[in-house]
Amino acid sequence: MMAMHTSNPTSFPAGGSRGQTEGDWQVLAEFSIPSQPGNERLASDQVATSIQALDLPVQRAERLKTAVAEATMNAMEHGNHYRPELPVWIRLLVSATALAVQITDQGGGQSIPEPEAPDLEAKLAGRQTPRGWGLFLIEKMVDEMHVVTDQAHHTVELILYLKGADHAGQTT
Amino acid sequence: MLVKQLEARVRPQPGAAVIDLHGDIDTFAEAALNDAFAEASQGHPSAIVLNFRDVEYINSTGIALIVGLLARARQSGRRMVVFGLNDHYAEIFRITRLAEFMSVFPDEASALADVVSSAPQQM
Repeated sequence: MMAMHTSNPTSFPAGGSRGQTEGDWQVLAEFSIPSQPGNERLASDQVATSIQALDLPVQRAERLKTAVAEATMNAMEHGNHYRPELPVWIRLLVSATALAVQITDQGGGQSIPEPEAPDLEAKLAGRQTPRGWGLFLIEKMVDEMHVVTDQAHHTVELILYLKGADHAGQTT
Repeated sequence: MLVKQLEARVRPQPGAAVIDLHGDIDTFAEAALNDAFAEASQGHPSAIVLNFRDVEYINSTGIALIVGLLARARQSGRRMVVFGLNDHYAEIFRITRLAEFMSVFPDEASALADVVSSAPQQM
């Protein structure tokens, strides 16, 4: 597993719905990781380290780590095709009310088919592949998820409210 | 960060085979999980019990592997029972509905007690 890199912020793509800074969003951390299986752990652990000062409840921090790991896996596999020379960029932004984590790969310009919702009964009966849980888990773990794609990059942005209503983790 | 390659060891118990899991359940865990499941199935237990006490990380690929094991257990008429999940992964088992198809217990004693009480009575 290759080490992550804390990159020059000016080399980060501007992806996501917030750009470098917008309004009262401040960049908390940004780094990149090579696209290799297992490196999603580097990403989620670095995010966990970066948000320590926010003092999130343990349950919400664990949900965010899972969402970051899954989004990073998708970026490495589907966006960058597990080519280690293609990094996944991760940027954390914080405002007074929310945390945003942007995960950007170099899979822009390709249409991404809407994934089939996982149906456990169908999977157990062999009518659906056992796989396909990543996007489902991401959506259940965070309060909002946005996707931005341009010709070069694809960015998944995860939003976690710092206060107020806790939508993440709802099963309905 | 320490990534722990999964080790899976089978431990026969009355009416069940316990698979003690140590490490991460991700794409690298497939061979260890499948080998342990095959070994556990050899004694024809009524239930296969997964011990998650020493598992700190399960990703979506790991969930898919667990779904695969559950499908195989159901095809062979065996129950799957789990214990030792931490709070986060217990929540994920509920969200994915795995907890509707696998009995989830906090510890080994309650898991095995349920296996014994649920086992078909032998005449």
